[in-house]
Amino acid sequence: MTQFFIETSWLVPLYGLIGAIASLPWAVGLVRRTGPRPAVYINMLLTVVALVHGLLILQGIWGNGNQILVLHWLQVADLDLQLSLDISILNLGALELVTGLSLLAQFYALGYMEKDWALARFFALMGFFEAAMSGVVLSESLFLSYSLLEMLTLSTYLLVGFWYAQPLVVTAARDAFLTKRVGDVLLLMGVVSLAALAGSLDFDSLDSWVKTADLRPAFANFLGLCLVAGPLGKCAQFPLHLWLDEAMEGPSPASILRNSVVVTCGAYVLIKLQPVIVISPIALDVLIAIGAVTAVGASLVALAQVDIKRTFSYSTSAYLGLVFIAVGTEWPGVALMLLFTHAIAKALLFMSVGGVILTANDQDITNLGGLWSRMPATTLAYLVGGAGLVGLLPLGGFWGLRLGLDFLWDEQPILVAVFLVVNLLTVVNLVRVYRQVFLGEAQPRTRRAPEVAWPMAVPMVFLSVFTLLLPLLMDQMRLIPTWEYVNPPAVVMLVVSGIAGLAIGMAIPLQKSLSRSIQRPLRLLQDLLAYDFYTDRLYRVTVVSAVDTIAQFTSWFDRFVVDGLVNLVGLASLFSGESLKYSISGQSQGYIFTIVLGVSLLGVLMTWSMW
Amino acid sequence: MLSELILIPAAGAIALMLWPGKLGPKMARDISVVCLSLTLVWTLVVVAQFDPQAGGLQFQEALPWVDTIGLTYRLGVDGLSLPLVVINALLTLVAVYSSGPEMRRPRLYFVMMLVLNGAVAGAFLAQNLLLFFIFYELELIPLYLLIAIWGGARRAYAATKFLIYTALSGVLILAAFIALVWFGGSTSFNYDPTLAAMLPPLQQLLLLGALVVGFGIKVPLFPFHTWLPDAHVEASTPVSVLLAGVLLKLGTYGLVRFGLQLFPDAWQVVAPWLATWAVVSVLYGSCAAIAQQDMKKMVAYSSIGHMGYVLLAAAAATPISILGVVFQMVSHGLISGLLFLLVGVVYKKTGTRDIRVLRGLLNPERGLPLIGSLMVLGGMASAGIPGMVGFISEFLVFRGSFVSFPTQTLVSMIGSGLTTVYFLLLVNRVFFGRLAITTPSQRPEPDICLPSVTWSERLPAIALAVVIVALGLQPNWMSRWSEETSIALQLPQPTAIAQTTVSASVSATVPATAQATGQTTAAATVLALKAPALD
Repeated sequence: MTQFFIETSWLVPLYGLIGAIASLPWAVGLVRRTGPRPAVYINMLLTVVALVHGLLILQGIWGNGNQILVLHWLQVADLDLQLSLDISILNLGALELVTGLSLLAQFYALGYMEKDWALARFFALMGFFEAAMSGVVLSESLFLSYSLLEMLTLSTYLLVGFWYAQPLVVTAARDAFLTKRVGDVLLLMGVVSLAALAGSLDFDSLDSWVKTADLRPAFANFLGLCLVAGPLGKCAQFPLHLWLDEAMEGPSPASILRNSVVVTCGAYVLIKLQPVIVISPIALDVLIAIGAVTAVGASLVALAQVDIKRTFSYSTSAYLGLVFIAVGTEWPGVALMLLFTHAIAKALLFMSVGGVILTANDQDITNLGGLWSRMPATTLAYLVGGAGLVGLLPLGGFWGLRLGLDFLWDEQPILVAVFLVVNLLTVVNLVRVYRQVFLGEAQPRTRRAPEVAWPMAVPMVFLSVFTLLLPLLMDQMRLIPTWEYVNPPAVVMLVVSGIAGLAIGMAIPLQKSLSRSIQRPLRLLQDLLAYDFYTDRLYRVTVVSAVDTIAQFTSWFDRFVVDGLVNLVGLASLFSGESLKYSISGQSQGYIFTIVLGVSLLGVLMTWSMW
Repeated sequence: MLSELILIPAAGAIALMLWPGKLGPKMARDISVVCLSLTLVWTLVVVAQFDPQAGGLQFQEALPWVDTIGLTYRLGVDGLSLPLVVINALLTLVAVYSSGPEMRRPRLYFVMMLVLNGAVAGAFLAQNLLLFFIFYELELIPLYLLIAIWGGARRAYAATKFLIYTALSGVLILAAFIALVWFGGSTSFNYDPTLAAMLPPLQQLLLLGALVVGFGIKVPLFPFHTWLPDAHVEASTPVSVLLAGVLLKLGTYGLVRFGLQLFPDAWQVVAPWLATWAVVSVLYGSCAAIAQQDMKKMVAYSSIGHMGYVLLAAAAATPISILGVVFQMVSHGLISGLLFLLVGVVYKKTGTRDIRVLRGLLNPERGLPLIGSLMVLGGMASAGIPGMVGFISEFLVFRGSFVSFPTQTLVSMIGSGLTTVYFLLLVNRVFFGRLAITTPSQRPEPDICLPSVTWSERLPAIALAVVIVALGLQPNWMSRWSEETSIALQLPQPTAIAQTTVSASVSATVPATAQATGQTTAAATVLALKAPALD
């Protein structure tokens, strides 16, 4: 029986897809009589099925080692495109994380999106989203992973663009798609090169190919950077990070997934690719550099945001930057631990934030305040989520960050500092937002705020409890070290950075009115961070304007040079015909003369070689 | 077996011409739909009986016609032409079905459509150079009239331009064919891959050059492309569907059939230039598409870019890339057909195709939500998002070409990113936002309500979308017909990386002979492969 579940594990990613397809009649309005709810229930049911199926597989392979399922998708000539799934405990754990959080987010969406007219479409997209993510975590072939990452890009586009009538949403969806697509196209270059060079695209055979591969260094570097580029876009790392911030215009339940598991999927592929990336000597350094820049930069930018969702989306970028550092320093264990703990804590944080936004109808933190007594469950969820994220209390985030510090401690003191700075700044930001949103005077928008409805409260409370119990679960999975392996200075520094963040966060003055500092240097800094180092303008003056200029030039060239030349030829022939007609004299000697002249010229031309 | 594919539409055309009494557009359309459905069914019968294991021509038919000039009526089909014949039947049916009920001179219109279908099928099937040329030129007449009579405001200009360009292409091709037979000392124009084998290299190069330019006009390749956007903008929707979906394929089909297969040695010499040319075409078409304001023009320029991929793959001529050629031709036919259909619906409902004017068409009740959703699907398919046929065809093109031309392949992939840019711009501007049909500076009308889309308008687009997704999920359904042919068509690979893959595939097909052969004799092996295949 267990073997049956393992053999049918290819079904797991399909459940979400089936849910998506099954909701289409409601989504396109073919069925109106029942309202959109049946589509919701179908999708949630199928997510439960996926979750349970995953658990059964996990039970089946527990202690039996992993199994690989191979589906030969396309075999032509010497090409064999396989879709292989690796049914391992790690992948199944990630799958459970994806399906579990997807189920919670859908439950949450039932409350959050209750009054939305396109509820069925939303759930169809969520099903599609979940299908792509479940596939990515199980995938054992780069080809499959690439395809699914592209589908994630597409579904992100559709989910961000869900409320497509709003102008900000339109640009956000466009930017999300295009920035990710930049990464995807580069990744495709890597995939195609690897397919041609290595033959098989399975991660296993790629790993063994790398050991014997003999490439020119320049090409190896290019290849490595291409492989990095795909996850770079997915994980919202500098310079392809802006989309995540803009994507916060989309519905909150999708933001929960986007900030927790979607970025995790990108990083998960990166972790699987890491043995291949080593083919390039500089790609790992680039990973570390990008990770460090993003981690510190995004943590700073988060401090200056007034939009409650955007500030935490930058924090997501920052944490994924730490993951990039971990992959770059070849510590995949650290990366996985960080991803796991971050995903759960961030999902909880976004549930709480979504509750605030729905109740107050506002996501500007300067308009909020005094919610702690009005929304106790949401406040608790925020606190637990925040505590689970950072290295202050021995919850999930602490253990993730600690592991990173431990491994980097001896060789990379600068990166240790990056970890500590990110921890400190994250605490500062969490405290700052907490003070603005939950403490202080009630504002007009929050004065009559009720607690969220039960469909939102249930997943929120459940995840809060889960976050609190996470250390116990990690202890069961032997992810928490025993005392002799703990590096006391690292732990102390981590906690100290957390306490320092707490202190700074409590101490900084906060104003309700959106104020800029009167001191010019401070104001410039504030603007710089609030506008995300002006990255959007950077895009605009570089890539966007370049593409636009080239396109305009091509169009102009096409219209006036290429087509102009053609029309000129046409015009010239018409004109010469028109003007030649005036040479018609009506006298036959004239015609004969012309004929003789023409024939003799032709004769001269044809006999030219004999002269 | 194959003549029916020409005769059924021809019979339909004659029936329509001779139909007694007044023939209304609806009746004429129904007759044409029945006739083309029969053609499609017959095509599927041919497909069902086609033997995918054989690499060469099948169902050959030969009738002597004008023996003195070497013209015989010879038909045959292989893995290269079979998918195109299917696409031709399918897209003509779609185009005729979606032809509007109100039109001038319906009898002539549908006769022209049927003649076009038969002529294109004949061109794909012809195995005699002159016969191919006759069909190739025959197809011009209906298409010229279809643009010139039922087109838009500047239809005369566009139709004439199209006619002159394509006639020029025909002249070049005819000259090359005649010269080929003349210099080769053959007495017949019957298609034979060894026709040019005895010619000196310089002559081969010249003839190939003429053919490449001739077919390059039809494809179209930069800088011979300017007839295409004009023709598309002026042509009515069904004609655009056929033009992009089927007619352009004649050019790429000709390049492979008469360029690559007749002149393998010369092809190998010019292949790097062709690949570079392809890259220029891809990037040029994509960049020009970004700047377009007319939706139809945008899709037309995207065709230029996407047909460039076909040239790239044909230049590489590895088994995978030739399969990529077939895939890309089919997928471009389906996807551009879908996009033109959708643009046609938008134009019909809103009266404009200007992306500066249209906004928010996805509006659920008053807009065109399903058309918009299909547009997203079509754009994504064109941009090569997995799950749709555009992805696997681009992947095969890139994967197959990479071994021969790594740089050109990698650069042309940028085109795939640019495709996303313009289709995203189109979808975002036209379908997202608040419903309005005004320029941004004007005040929008408060509550516009577009006429609703009927199911008969949606049906052809949905059918194409289903095929696009189905082939994207199960490319095996297409690859099995063309695999053997693409192996038979490959060229020996010059580069070092390619060495291994080619020898692997050759040894897979003919283990005994290929084991001993080195790179220089690989050409002989391929010829030996081809020779029995053509019996």
